[in-house]
Amino acid sequence: MKFDVIIIGGGLAGMTAATALQTSGMRCAVVAEGLSLHNASRREFCAAGGTLLAGDRVVSGRFAGDRLVAVRTEKLGDIELEAENFVLATGKYFSRGLVADMDRVYEPLFGLDVDYDEDRSTWFDPSFAAPQKFLEFGVKSPGGLAVKDGAVIANLYPAGEVLAGLSSAQGDATAAIVKSATDAANAIGRK
Amino acid sequence: MQETNISAKNFEQCQKCSLCETVCPVMANNPKYAGPKRSGPDGERYRLKNGIFFEDSLKYCLNCKRCEVACPSGVRIADLIQQARIDYGRKAPKLRDMMLASTDQVGPLASAFAPLANFGLGLSPVKGLMDITIGVDRHRTLPKYASETFVHWFKKNAAAAQEGYKKQISYFHGCYANYNYPQLGKDFVAVMNAFGIGVQLMPEERCCGVAKIANGMIATATRDARINMNAFGRSVKEGRDIVTVSTTCTLTILEEYPELLKVDNSLVRDHVSLVEQYLYKGIVSGVLKPVWKEGFKARAAYHCPCHQERLGWGIFTTELLKMIPGMELIELESNCCGIAGTYGFKKENYKVSQAIGKPLFDNIMAIAPDYVACECETCKWQIEMSTGISVKNPVSILAEALDLDKTAAANR
Amino acid sequence: MPVKNEFDVIVIGGGITGAGTARDCAMRGLRVLLIERQDIATGATGRNHGLLHSGARYAVKDSESAEECIRENKILRRIAANCVEDTGGLFITLPEDADSGFGLDYQATFLEACNRAGIEARAISPREAIEMEPSVNPSLIGAVVVPDGSVDPFRLCSANVTDAVLHGAKVLVYTEFLDFIREGDTILGVKVLDTRSGETAEYRAPVTVNAAGIWGHGVAEKAGVHIGMYPAKGALLVFGHRVNNVVINRCRKSADGDILVPGDSVTVIGTTSTKVPFEECDHMEVTPDEVRLLLREGCALCPALASTRILRAYAGVRPLVADDSDPTGRSISRGIVCLDHETRDGVKGFVSITGGKLMTYRLMAELATDAVCRKLGVHKSCTTAETPLPGSMNGRIESVSKRFEGKPTAGQKGAAGRQGDMVTKIHFETEADRQLVCECENVTLAEIKYAVKELGVRNLEDLRRRTRVGMGTCQGTLCIRRAAKALAEALGQPELADKLAADYLDERWKGMRAVGWGDTLREMEFMQRVYKYEKPYSYDEI
Repeated sequence: MKFDVIIIGGGLAGMTAATALQTSGMRCAVVAEGLSLHNASRREFCAAGGTLLAGDRVVSGRFAGDRLVAVRTEKLGDIELEAENFVLATGKYFSRGLVADMDRVYEPLFGLDVDYDEDRSTWFDPSFAAPQKFLEFGVKSPGGLAVKDGAVIANLYPAGEVLAGLSSAQGDATAAIVKSATDAANAIGRK
Repeated sequence: MQETNISAKNFEQCQKCSLCETVCPVMANNPKYAGPKRSGPDGERYRLKNGIFFEDSLKYCLNCKRCEVACPSGVRIADLIQQARIDYGRKAPKLRDMMLASTDQVGPLASAFAPLANFGLGLSPVKGLMDITIGVDRHRTLPKYASETFVHWFKKNAAAAQEGYKKQISYFHGCYANYNYPQLGKDFVAVMNAFGIGVQLMPEERCCGVAKIANGMIATATRDARINMNAFGRSVKEGRDIVTVSTTCTLTILEEYPELLKVDNSLVRDHVSLVEQYLYKGIVSGVLKPVWKEGFKARAAYHCPCHQERLGWGIFTTELLKMIPGMELIELESNCCGIAGTYGFKKENYKVSQAIGKPLFDNIMAIAPDYVACECETCKWQIEMSTGISVKNPVSILAEALDLDKTAAANR
Repeated sequence: MPVKNEFDVIVIGGGITGAGTARDCAMRGLRVLLIERQDIATGATGRNHGLLHSGARYAVKDSESAEECIRENKILRRIAANCVEDTGGLFITLPEDADSGFGLDYQATFLEACNRAGIEARAISPREAIEMEPSVNPSLIGAVVVPDGSVDPFRLCSANVTDAVLHGAKVLVYTEFLDFIREGDTILGVKVLDTRSGETAEYRAPVTVNAAGIWGHGVAEKAGVHIGMYPAKGALLVFGHRVNNVVINRCRKSADGDILVPGDSVTVIGTTSTKVPFEECDHMEVTPDEVRLLLREGCALCPALASTRILRAYAGVRPLVADDSDPTGRSISRGIVCLDHETRDGVKGFVSITGGKLMTYRLMAELATDAVCRKLGVHKSCTTAETPLPGSMNGRIESVSKRFEGKPTAGQKGAAGRQGDMVTKIHFETEADRQLVCECENVTLAEIKYAVKELGVRNLEDLRRRTRVGMGTCQGTLCIRRAAKALAEALGQPELADKLAADYLDERWKGMRAVGWGDTLREMEFMQRVYKYEKPYSYDEI
């Protein structure tokens, strides 16, 4: 299936970018694993004619040169979702935009470059109430684009909490999340 | 080490976020039900300690699987609940549950005496009697039984012609198309044939077993599942993929056979598709060439059944229906209709069932479409009973929208 | 001037040994004071496997300990039925054990030693072992069935304290031992600090018992006597659910991480053994290397652990005691050490009870109480081996939960499992009281009120030890606000709620940090979000 933009993740960042792009006339699909707290924005997106793949999740991507060409999902099997541009709004650990194992933090869908501290002893502050460093980790995005093995991917835009330095688990980060999503949508719109 | 955490039905991935509780249609309407989180992953930890922690209230789960769609952690919540009912709920099923569940046992009997059965099922005093004696709610109109089953019709009118097609599939018709609504089967054959595809039945086909699972008849369900998987295996070996029309049968075969009944389907699962998915793929890849009727016009509202949501294949139906020129398709907001197979037929569930469906019914009546498009047979009963607006299976819609003769010519 | 003694005996330490000693002394008619600087069961008592040893582990090397264990095992099943689960145990032999000299020949030696010690042990085939416990490493080449079980040390300790109180003992928790009151070579009593009010007090008794575990080293020093103790840290991991239903051990020389115990709703793997300095005993953190080691060894017992979520890590400190008979102080006594400091050191009115293990606490208490009675000239025999503890008169969950009218709710069944027949004292009358506070562990508001009223609960940690509140998969993410509010109200100090929650979160955080990856890290992010986000977790938008 072909779309103009595929948005991976249906939380605040994903729905903000998706609704902006869909209402600007692009054909968008959102792949949203799990329900989010943002049902109202999902309604708006669907009303604007957007395609919502609820309860599905992206499992892999197909690259050509410096571009992401298509993704596959768990439920659609061999039917690829193709698009010109992609927004990665998969959030942090809870929503599995990042996965941590004992020694590292990685981005599980595409293996994007992640900003994190290899020394595990720095991840947590003993005081629950203090700021926690692990919540600062996230994918790198110089110039708003994702990076894989040091090379920029020309059409994959990370937005929201998957980004390094952005987390609403340390206090309200709604404005920053919305801004990152709007930035991604604007960058795609300018193309 | 510990990179991925996989427990049985992923129950340990549960983070207790409780999103499942916000989408559970039963929890919102039945205070006796503890909800998916507590009945599923929470309960499972204690059931592993001691079976005494099994709660009777798990029976209120209607297995719509909306909790699984909502879960951000991939926990198979509804499966956990069904599994617990299988493993710990030892009581023998009631006569009523057995009657409602044995769609293939009662079906043949009722079909043979269809006018009588339908007369009996529709008549008030009889309904009252069922209400009292076996606990089928009096407000329910039990599904009508057709006087001629689909299989009977097929053998008499269609079987012979099928050999003439180059491409062949096996059609898993399910109980509903066979006993209750043969027209759906007839439409299926017409559409498939128009696309140049021959339809074969699997003589051993048994009920998928969904109602038996829901009503605790596990041994029978497992036996039937094995027979079906043997039949599917043979069909695949002979080069025929299996195409289905029922979302619930399909979900049962693909997910619940291995998960709940421990019947392996790995050899055939990639060869089973819902008809909408099958046709969508064929048309998009250019293998199948539809020719649409001129002047077709319809305003339809699409209701995605719960099990279709869980399969995640609703997009195939909507994309397919959107291809029809003259079709105005309105996608209804995702809601459960409340019937959930045999669930809503039970006296104790009637009120809850109608309360669950109300948002959907209100939405449909506000839109007032020509008809509702929906793949699910039990949603059809519920929506038609509750809104008075007719519900059409997408296959039947295609049969109306396609110029069958021209399509047949284009696909020859 | 002669001082009238308010008590006959003062017991220092509210771990299982002190609690058992207080109970035994009280049952023999003595006037008892038990002091504990924190809550009961906060030291090594609450930081072990919760294994009801059959004794098989010691059979080959230390038949005396083995015999003690199996005797106490049978006694605990009788007197503490509600704290014990009869899971049974397996000692498995793996192919690699054969390579290191612990093959089936060793199994034969092991079996013989078990039988000699009176431990019913029988060899079964690998297939039978897998049938008995499907999660066991399928590559095993042999297995022995032994009467292991699991025991909840918190509730065992609490039941001993409750029974001591029922027999007239006075229990002061959050009361720290400061020094002895001493006249010449005689101990007359103790000076203590109420750690919450900051007030000091003095209590007198003709005999004081040092049952302070590893901290007993420091207590003895205050009396001018030296007990050669070594703190040995043991780290353990808690998994998210019961992976096994039968205790799994390795049939070889005791080593790190070779016991896997199912207890309540979880499974625990342990333990390691590292000597640590005394200064660290109050601040045990589990290191990544310990986690790695435990996981590696745990997976050898039960491969499913590799993919099971770890809820948290914790560590306790065993009080290892140098053998008095060895002048170098190098060899360690594995058994029970009961020291009458009058005969040993010339200090009158002072007894230390140490060494030993959770399993043999009752015997330790009996020996200590015997020593106390000798000193006091009291001739009463011990009855603790025959008298069931409170909650365990008819403690099976099946029979207890039948006492409710109608079908018991999840919360009532949970309470019956934890509180045994004491559940009749819990008031489930109102709808609000039946509401679950902790959904992971089925803890109701009623049970919390009961714990405050009857079990001396002051904070959420205390409550957790008696009810399992916040010990489930979410580690309190969902319930701590509710629990803190309920507890603060039950304590009559609603303003305390935030403080109670904050303290508890720091404690949970500590256990989670050591295993903070995978799904545990997801939970940690969620926990931060729930408690720190300005608009905490609401579904308003839906």
